[in-house]
Amino acid sequence: MDDFLSNPAVQGGLAPFVAALVVALALQPLRLAGLSVVAAFATCAYFVSGFQLTPLTATRKILLLSIAAPLLGVLVDFAFKPTRVGAALLALGAGAAALWAFWPVLAQRSASEAWLLGGTAALALAFMVGFAQLQLAGDAVRAGSAALGLGLGTGVAAIFSATALYGLYGIALGAGAGGFLLPQMIRGRKSFAGATFTLSAMLTGGLVGAGAMILAQLPWYSLAVLAFVPVAARLPAPEKAPLWLQAVIFSVYAFVVAGVACLLAWPSPLQS
Amino acid sequence: MRRLTVALGALALPLVAAAQVENYVIDPYHTVPYWETDHLGFATMRGRFDRASGKFSIDRAAKSGTLEVVIQTASLSTGDVERDGRPRTRDEHLRNPDFFNVQEFPTMTFRANSIKFNGDDPQLIEGNLTLLGVTKPLALKVERWKCGPDPRTQGKRFQCGGNATGSFKRSDFGMKFGLPTAIGDEVKLWMSFYGFRQ
Repeated sequence: MDDFLSNPAVQGGLAPFVAALVVALALQPLRLAGLSVVAAFATCAYFVSGFQLTPLTATRKILLLSIAAPLLGVLVDFAFKPTRVGAALLALGAGAAALWAFWPVLAQRSASEAWLLGGTAALALAFMVGFAQLQLAGDAVRAGSAALGLGLGTGVAAIFSATALYGLYGIALGAGAGGFLLPQMIRGRKSFAGATFTLSAMLTGGLVGAGAMILAQLPWYSLAVLAFVPVAARLPAPEKAPLWLQAVIFSVYAFVVAGVACLLAWPSPLQS
Repeated sequence: MRRLTVALGALALPLVAAAQVENYVIDPYHTVPYWETDHLGFATMRGRFDRASGKFSIDRAAKSGTLEVVIQTASLSTGDVERDGRPRTRDEHLRNPDFFNVQEFPTMTFRANSIKFNGDDPQLIEGNLTLLGVTKPLALKVERWKCGPDPRTQGKRFQCGGNATGSFKRSDFGMKFGLPTAIGDEVKLWMSFYGFRQ
């Protein structure tokens, strides 16, 4: 059993997917299926790093924020009406969260490097969270596809950047999005995404990407491309197509952009 | 007159004692911490840190001493430096958050305030290792120790050198990636060291 549970495919893929599926199925009637993505991420974190929060490293700040995001998302969904101002505030908060998580590391870099990496992280996070809240929160299939592409893309790009830990985190997010999408595809009926899902997926996915950039070797322009994955999931698809087909089409859009980011993360031999 | 002699003698005692403490600065070019750990349950992988600095002091009369070693974590090397078609090398992987997280924790330190002696020679150094922001006790056994004039300076410089070993569990420091089966938890240390008397 230990061998099975210590297999990276189980830790980053199977177990998070099962956890997300169970949460999506159980909480869908309560409009809380979006919690599936945090269930997936937390399952992966339990296996690969644990939940110890001291000393509060950048990676542990990501864990902390990944738990805080769905709580805030639920509050936003159930206590407020979605507005542009609300989306802007969430975007600002996401940018600030990125700086909070990585500032101690950035402070050790040269000023130009700190500005480039910190600026890219903050802008990418703010854009992803703001865009997803405005354009994807109301469409659970597009939101799920965006999270699927972002999670898997970030995971693969992180592995190319020499961090398998962040790779597993990203893949787990993708698995969580898969667990959120699958029941919708089978039933042919959309769930509710809202900030519960989009904030959790975009903030955590963005932070994992930013961590791979600042703590490992993900190029900044690869993260910049990953930030456009949610935009790809907003591209048009046949309105009358079955829901499963729409999910496939949106996911393909997301995978194309995520694939470009992964290609950019693969270093040329000359860099060695 | 006799009282004055005794009083002067009492005053001078701390100075004599202080004079017995010898301070050394670690030679960064010959102080090399090596480490080894299990890989996939098949083989033992070894690596080293190429940059270490620090200082130590010994008081042979009082049988005591202190030690501080600062290791630059980014200087780790396992000899795998060419990508050869792979995205990254093993050394690059080891520097990232999965293991030593060198961007966030550029140094690891070992500080000791307790040195046990066997005769005139240090035998066991007990202190604390700080790695990834976590500090835990670590004991280093001194396997070899010799002091004398440095032959490279025709005896003008006095040095001590030797080897020390120890071990720790990396999970105690939060380095959990690859546990329990891929990469071993126990890390064995083997260190060559030199210090020049100041």
